Amino acid sequence: MAADSSGAPGAPCRHHAQLGACESRAKYREGWRPRAVKVYTINLESRYLLIQGVPALGVMKELVEQFALYGAIEEYHALDEYPAEQFTEVYLIKFKKLQCARVAKKKMDERSFFGSLLHVCYAPEFETVQETREKLQDRRKYIAKATNQRDCFVLKKVEGPKKTASKNSEQDSLWSTSGSHVASTWDRSCFTSSPGVSHNLAYPSGNQNESLLTSPHYDNNCADISGYFGQKTSLTPSVHPGGHTPPASLMQQRMVPAYNGIDRFMPRTTHLQERKRKREEGNKFSLIGTSEDNTEVVIGPQLPEIPKVDMDDESLNTSATLIRNKLKEVADSVSTSVEKPESSSAKPLPELQLSPSSDRSSRWNHRRKEESDAALFCHDTTAAATGTPAGQSSCFWLVCFELESELS
Amino acid sequence: MELGRLEYLQALVTDSTGNKRRCSLGLSVSSVSSHTRPFSLAEAKEQVLANLANFAYDPSNYEYLRQLQVLDLFLDMLTEDNESLVEFAMGGLCNLCLDKTNKEYILEANGVEPIINCLSSSNEETVVSAVTTLMFLTTPRSRAQTTALPVVECMLRFSLSANRRLSNLASIFLQDYCTPPQVEEARNLSKHTAVGIPLPKD
Repeated sequence: MAADSSGAPGAPCRHHAQLGACESRAKYREGWRPRAVKVYTINLESRYLLIQGVPALGVMKELVEQFALYGAIEEYHALDEYPAEQFTEVYLIKFKKLQCARVAKKKMDERSFFGSLLHVCYAPEFETVQETREKLQDRRKYIAKATNQRDCFVLKKVEGPKKTASKNSEQDSLWSTSGSHVASTWDRSCFTSSPGVSHNLAYPSGNQNESLLTSPHYDNNCADISGYFGQKTSLTPSVHPGGHTPPASLMQQRMVPAYNGIDRFMPRTTHLQERKRKREEGNKFSLIGTSEDNTEVVIGPQLPEIPKVDMDDESLNTSATLIRNKLKEVADSVSTSVEKPESSSAKPLPELQLSPSSDRSSRWNHRRKEESDAALFCHDTTAAATGTPAGQSSCFWLVCFELESELS
Repeated sequence: MELGRLEYLQALVTDSTGNKRRCSLGLSVSSVSSHTRPFSLAEAKEQVLANLANFAYDPSNYEYLRQLQVLDLFLDMLTEDNESLVEFAMGGLCNLCLDKTNKEYILEANGVEPIINCLSSSNEETVVSAVTTLMFLTTPRSRAQTTALPVVECMLRFSLSANRRLSNLASIFLQDYCTPPQVEEARNLSKHTAVGIPLPKD
């Protein structure tokens, strides 16, 4: 080593040598391009790039233009003393930023240029002490930023150095950060609107319920998940990074609008479901109240129920009341016309009224009718509790029951 | 394929059979099918280790690498005879040691000692990585260990090396991580002792 680099930094170094591509690598570990077995550290990388194999055709200008596509170039010159193959030249290009140099190296290495294959490698030996110091400090800052980023969901785009043994695209890093960006946006909005959610939605709709449940879970596992995203994508050499992850993140993103303006813009299905729930609760309680009297709550086909619930809206409530009353009127008129043919049920009551005797048969009849009346009453009270005005003659039966209780 | 790879690496690294980590690495590697020509176990080990070391460059992988105990693997590999394995393991440590959690882990696992030993390697990359790693691992707590007298002495010698990379790094180490008295002490000491740490040869 002493012999090799005894002269100026322009002397060939071991790390300039192009290693042979690894042929024994197992298929599953193969990347898109044949690669040597090499580990890249911050020491090896540099803003300085050494370009070998440039055809000696006076194409320096074109070469620099080609490299300038990847970032601003600070310096460039030919290295005349560097050993080169016949009819080729060696150039040194210094980039302003290390990241640009990395990309340029990745893209331009083994690229054909004017009929000759370029060999691009880093040349850290050209760095001054200060430049090396700055390089190490930049690496420190980057790690500090990247580490904090995962912990606190600070949303900054990561300039991800991803030197892996296999090919790895810039998009992967962008994707991993955008993934966590989306997820954390969702996370925050979820938390800020959750008080509103609990206030308005006693019965959240399907997908919203899901989100509420998953949000604290997500928070706890945030580091793991985002790390997993990042790690998953950073390992994918393919052009389409992390195919499974995008839908999840996008789905989360789509959920965000649902939480905004929760009071006014609740989805319609939620309203309907909420009313249904309240109706069912009302049914439940009414059933509980009368179940001790008689197990047979429902006799005959249950009439369609019209919910008598608060619509959370003045105009809606007014309309509902109007409709209800109308129905009541109609139902009453129908029931009174229906009642007359139903002599069996209607008659006993006048009979009871007239002859409150202790006669056994009549008492038995009375009891029977009581039961049936009670049953009917139960049915009607059920209907009444749920606001079934078409429970029709509910007032009538209520009166009957009162009479019965007076008699017995 | 990509996720399969990491799972495979996991299979490589994790000790499912209860054997020593080193052994499981070898055994798992030898069971890999689909290779084009006969390859040696050492080659396969090197490839896998290089793979992991390169993964260690990206901070987004750190959590996973920690779970797979890759840090321990790197530290273990430092004592191997195979020069390439040491080089790759040292590179891996250099890549990931800046992270706070990793740093603490390495210091807790008494990793500074084997890294200092790497300073005497004949492999240029190993030495360079070792110098950088010691720099990154220097904390108020570990300073006493990472800037111990023999280390400072070594750095003095490196700073005079013709190898620009090495001399740059050594200079930074002496200027930024050592106090002037420390440097002075080492300078006085080196004047008197003939035995020193040999410079790495190419």
